[in-house]
Amino acid sequence: MTNILEVNHIHTFIGQFQILEGVSLDVPEGSITALLGRNGAGKTTTLKSILGLTPPRRGQVIFGGQEIQGRRAYDIAALGIGYVPEHRAVFTQLTVQENLKIAERKKGDLERKAEFIFSLFPDLKRFYRLPGGNLSGGQQQMLSIARALVPDNHLLLIDEPSEGLAPVLIEQLMEAIQRLSAELTVLLVEQNFKMASHLASRYVIIDDGRTVRSGLMPDLVGDKQTIHRYLGAAVERG
Amino acid sequence: MWKRYRSALVSVGIILALVVLAYAGLGATKAASVLLSGLTLAALYFLMAAGLSLIFGLMDVLNFAHGVLFMVGAYIGYSTFGNPRLLLNTLPLVLTLVAGVMVGTWVARPLHTWEQGLRRRVAAGEAGSGGRQIAANVFARLTPSLALAVLGIAVAVWAARGFPISSLVAFETTATGGAISTAVAQEALAPMLGRLVRLALAGLLLGPVFIRGDDESQCRGAAWRRIAAVAALVAAGAVLLLARDPLEGFMMGLSIDIRFALALLAGAITGALLGGLIESVLVRPFYGNVVTQIVLTLGLSFVGVELVEAVWGPEGRPPMAVPSFFAESCRSPNLFAWFTESCSSIDVLGRAFPTYRLFIIAVGVVILVAVGVLLRYSRLGMIIRAGVQDREMVEALGINVRRVFTLVFALGSALAALGGVVAAPFIGVYPEMGGIFQLQGFIAVVIGGMGSYLGTAVGSLLIGLARAFGDALVTAGITFPWAEQPFMASPALARASTVLIMAVVLLVRPAGIFGKKE
Repeated sequence: MTNILEVNHIHTFIGQFQILEGVSLDVPEGSITALLGRNGAGKTTTLKSILGLTPPRRGQVIFGGQEIQGRRAYDIAALGIGYVPEHRAVFTQLTVQENLKIAERKKGDLERKAEFIFSLFPDLKRFYRLPGGNLSGGQQQMLSIARALVPDNHLLLIDEPSEGLAPVLIEQLMEAIQRLSAELTVLLVEQNFKMASHLASRYVIIDDGRTVRSGLMPDLVGDKQTIHRYLGAAVERG
Repeated sequence: MWKRYRSALVSVGIILALVVLAYAGLGATKAASVLLSGLTLAALYFLMAAGLSLIFGLMDVLNFAHGVLFMVGAYIGYSTFGNPRLLLNTLPLVLTLVAGVMVGTWVARPLHTWEQGLRRRVAAGEAGSGGRQIAANVFARLTPSLALAVLGIAVAVWAARGFPISSLVAFETTATGGAISTAVAQEALAPMLGRLVRLALAGLLLGPVFIRGDDESQCRGAAWRRIAAVAALVAAGAVLLLARDPLEGFMMGLSIDIRFALALLAGAITGALLGGLIESVLVRPFYGNVVTQIVLTLGLSFVGVELVEAVWGPEGRPPMAVPSFFAESCRSPNLFAWFTESCSSIDVLGRAFPTYRLFIIAVGVVILVAVGVLLRYSRLGMIIRAGVQDREMVEALGINVRRVFTLVFALGSALAALGGVVAAPFIGVYPEMGGIFQLQGFIAVVIGGMGSYLGTAVGSLLIGLARAFGDALVTAGITFPWAEQPFMASPALARASTVLIMAVVLLVRPAGIFGKKE
């Protein structure tokens, strides 16, 4: 299995503060990889560094065989990386249709993907002409994921999809992510350990801006000591 | 339903109340013409405020140079209309400079790459230690490209010295030549060619500072296309220079209507180009640094006024001649009669009202609708609306937001410059006109709610009507139904009325009528 994404020892600063001090991770093609760690460990910053929204100052990001660190975010995204940020970032003034349409990179992207998207999230079809701001939290999360599916992406970066959602919705969301992972690779940041361990085949744990563990998910599930040491609070909450 | 349209309904209510009060106080005849005057002002304020609002909404930039663009648009339009010889003589110089800069950006790319590498090494602390590091740091900041740029400016000054600009600006003539005949006013071809060569050199030296290292788009595109662009610029400059006399004769021989249309076009294009330039050179390096941007654009507004005064003189010019549709000295009884008679004024309930001002109102309405349609239905408009909310997410979708910024800046600037040209036959041109309209534009934007397009339109309407009714109050006084004596206001109140409205609106709704609470 080849790696679609390789991150080697990136260091990222936000202003004067160093957030990442050597994060490394590999994402094999076709897998769901879970990026785990406590609050403030640097998970969101890692995703943003990959995408160039907070460009790393040192280190290497390789996507599909080419180095992409230092390139502008729009340029990196256009290579085929979809981003589902935390708190959804749905455009509230735009209709559901426009929220999807704006993600097109080629004319007709939306028409080609509409059927697949509606099969994953039937609600979006019902509210197609409603402003994104009128949707519920769960629907906005689905819209945010759907938006990343419109263009031909190879990799999805999904940040905390289950945050603030009711258990029923989380089930629905898990099923959708499971289904879409048949088509593309997913790097998933998730505090809800049950959800992460259920979906992902591999894991990476970061702590204090450094990668501390990585491997196959089944190994982690049995490793109570590692879970307790690096994820304690998060797992107990989930 | 009520909640969604509350702002719109409240503002309509305020405007209706104003109008009713005016009818009661002034009488229908007077009120109607004051209302139309108010709409005229509102249209001009809107042309100014629309760009301010778009630029602030999308980029959080308070563009204090917007008034200058309005004023420069008016001057360029007036020049194109009255006597194009100034433009015909300066355009070749500008085109050559631009061509030089373009070549300079490619020639100096290796230099730029090297400088960037150096800066990166210094930032990462890999440039050695102690004195060596300090030296590298200083060198990385005071880069060779900056030194070349200083040299380039010196060469540009050398190239421009002694250019007979004051004799070229004769402005109000409608015949070829003007106060000083063109043959005397303009330089012979040989010294002009010398200037061209020097400006090309200046452009080459200035090139490196215009390289945007993080923006790959400059080196994309086939080499032949870039060479063709430079060749086209140089060729256009040469043709303009060689054919300047026949071209001047040709332009002055065109009908007044076509010259007016050309003036509108020239003003808008100049505004767009200047706006794009301001964004990419002065504003872009400082996104997120609001104070720097304010200081820079404010400084630019002073520089712009001084430059215009240096070229055209500080005294300004009387109103530009109007196109033939508004030129016959007669009074049409109604709009239909005006279509055939082309009278300069039209009968509004027994009083004459200048027809050109109706044209200003029409331009305002057309632009309001056109930009509204662009925002609502085009992909660019969709990106703008999304970008107002969350720029980072738009970029994460693979959209080059910076390019959209430049486009929007150019669009807003073009609207302001167009407003300047449209205003020129109404109020004339003078260096301070930009500042005056900019202040009212900002007030309109604040009243409407920062960044709301509809709000800006409503704000402009309120401000325009307030100014017109304020002036009417001052000149006539207003008779309230319950008072015997007409109420006489002081002239200061007319000028203060817009600020008063802003104060009231901000007290009731701190975010403006259509603004969102943050």
